[in-house]
Amino acid sequence: MVWQSPLVRLDRVWLRYGRRAPWVLRDVDLELGPGRSAVVLGRNGVGKSTLLQLAAGVLTPTRGAVRDRPATVGWVPERFPGDQPHTVRQYLTAMGSIRGISGSALTQTVADWTERLGLAAYLDVRLSALSKGTAQKVGLAQALLRPPDLLILDEPWEGLDGPTRELVPELIREVREAGGAVLVSDHRGETVRLPDAEQWTVADGSVSVVFPTIAGSVAPGGISVVELAVPAFRVAGVVADLRAAGHQVLRVRPPEPTDGAAETTPGPDVGSGEGPAAVAESGAPAAGAPPGAAPTSGAPVAVETPATPAPRAEPVSAAPVARPESAGDRAPGTGGTRPAGTPEAPAASADTAGPAPGGATPAAGVVSAGGATPAAPVGVAGGSPAGSAPLVGSGDRNGTGEAQ
Amino acid sequence: MIAMVRMRLGGFVRTARAVPPLVAGLVALVVLHGGAGAEAAEAYGVSAVVLFPILAWQTKLLLDTEPDTQRRLVAVAAGRRSEFVGGLLAAGVVGVALIPLALAVPWLVGGVTAPVRAGELGVGLAIGLWAHLLALPAAVGLGALASRAAVTSPLYGVVILVCGVVGVFVFGLRDSVVPWLVPPVLAVARASAAGPTGAEIALLTGHALLWSAVAIAGYAGLRRRRA
Repeated sequence: MVWQSPLVRLDRVWLRYGRRAPWVLRDVDLELGPGRSAVVLGRNGVGKSTLLQLAAGVLTPTRGAVRDRPATVGWVPERFPGDQPHTVRQYLTAMGSIRGISGSALTQTVADWTERLGLAAYLDVRLSALSKGTAQKVGLAQALLRPPDLLILDEPWEGLDGPTRELVPELIREVREAGGAVLVSDHRGETVRLPDAEQWTVADGSVSVVFPTIAGSVAPGGISVVELAVPAFRVAGVVADLRAAGHQVLRVRPPEPTDGAAETTPGPDVGSGEGPAAVAESGAPAAGAPPGAAPTSGAPVAVETPATPAPRAEPVSAAPVARPESAGDRAPGTGGTRPAGTPEAPAASADTAGPAPGGATPAAGVVSAGGATPAAPVGVAGGSPAGSAPLVGSGDRNGTGEAQ
Repeated sequence: MIAMVRMRLGGFVRTARAVPPLVAGLVALVVLHGGAGAEAAEAYGVSAVVLFPILAWQTKLLLDTEPDTQRRLVAVAAGRRSEFVGGLLAAGVVGVALIPLALAVPWLVGGVTAPVRAGELGVGLAIGLWAHLLALPAAVGLGALASRAAVTSPLYGVVILVCGVVGVFVFGLRDSVVPWLVPPVLAVARASAAGPTGAEIALLTGHALLWSAVAIAGYAGLRRRRA
């Protein structure tokens, strides 16, 4: 394993917003290397944006320091400040000038990004007249006018339309391929589109880290898939809670009809944000859930968690979509601080399921091949021994429950 | 830096926030000088006193035009120090733009008598320019201290602005025990009326610049705390 020098490093950082205010972050040690990305997860108000703003240089740590921050940082705030009198063209041109771009290069850069982000029609519209999503695109554009060494995206998917949402992972990949690093926060589950990103989970002032694994390798202790049935209206909250606890939510499937039909319905993935209980899970019949059992009315959610030794070591089912698009160059690492209250937080996590960057939303019908139950009320396929338990994407492809 | 200043000024003008202080300044100058018929140096000394609160207010308006998040975006793009200096420079540019008006208006409304001796006009204009240029950095410092970037509440901003201006007028009186506590705006007006000596010019210039530096350092400190 070759460690590259970090692009940005938070060195024992503490932060609070006032002398008597509570600590938002306590003794946080983190680093992000070139070509890497990290997803910042956690509940509302836990300090995700604070962490991002520290990395961006917007905030100064109360104690500790942020070191090695590169010269060109692109920051997309959670809410773009649309209450400004400039037109899109005036604004982007000014921001480009501030970033040191001038002349025809500036004109061309602005034209390129407005074209790519679908802003060309709004060039002469005032920022204050833009919709939230269009203003968010302007926020993205300003961060990318000069190729950033460190790109920081605070809830970048908020308000974006479908095509632009699909574009975000592509932009992230481009920055990484150019040797930059990307830090992105998300509470809507959109980061399922970034399967090889580290997960930084903020809770109680500390940050736990889960590194992605290399494709084909297995996290220490193996990986288990836990299937949950959740009322459709609670899916978003459950997904957020599970992620905040350090688990990887693979997919969510739309609510099933309760007439016992075992067919699954394709649907958008968890990150699409459309529909309450979209998506499919990757698990096969859960342990203890007999094939053909009636589907539940809740939306199935598949959660990946390191296996614990279990007497019934059932292999995890395969979801073709679960194969990671790309693998990180870092070996499975150990997690950082374990979030409080999550004793089962993984020390390392396997690849996540996710669509290919750029786009394709995985079909939901990948589950339950062979008439497997889409989801047991609470099913655990667990106990895969290290080295033999398949990651999501391998394993039981025929619904028999046998590992491959 | 130029791009930053231009963007700030663009926002200030496009939101029409530049208009109220401009109108207020013109009205004050016209009312003050209308038919007064004073010597140029004396008239300009008083103009500088009247313009001080308007320049401070204008600075606050300019710095408050940009949303907080936009200010942070610029800081990420250009560096926090550059963003800090850019805002102050923009305020200075807008203030400097008011000075020619302040020098011209007294002539237009009969506030200044025609020079009796040769060279008197030049001296009067030079003293007037000095008085206004000395008031400007102090006003920018006070306006910056009252801006949203420095204080958490808009109410605090107004209180700082009002107290600052009142303090200049109260503690700047001839018999003040603590004249060094405020910028020497009134002292400059008195010196202009009497004809300042070289030593007075140096002393008052030093006092004004030192006070401005302290105010701007305070502004920087408050911004760091808010960040």
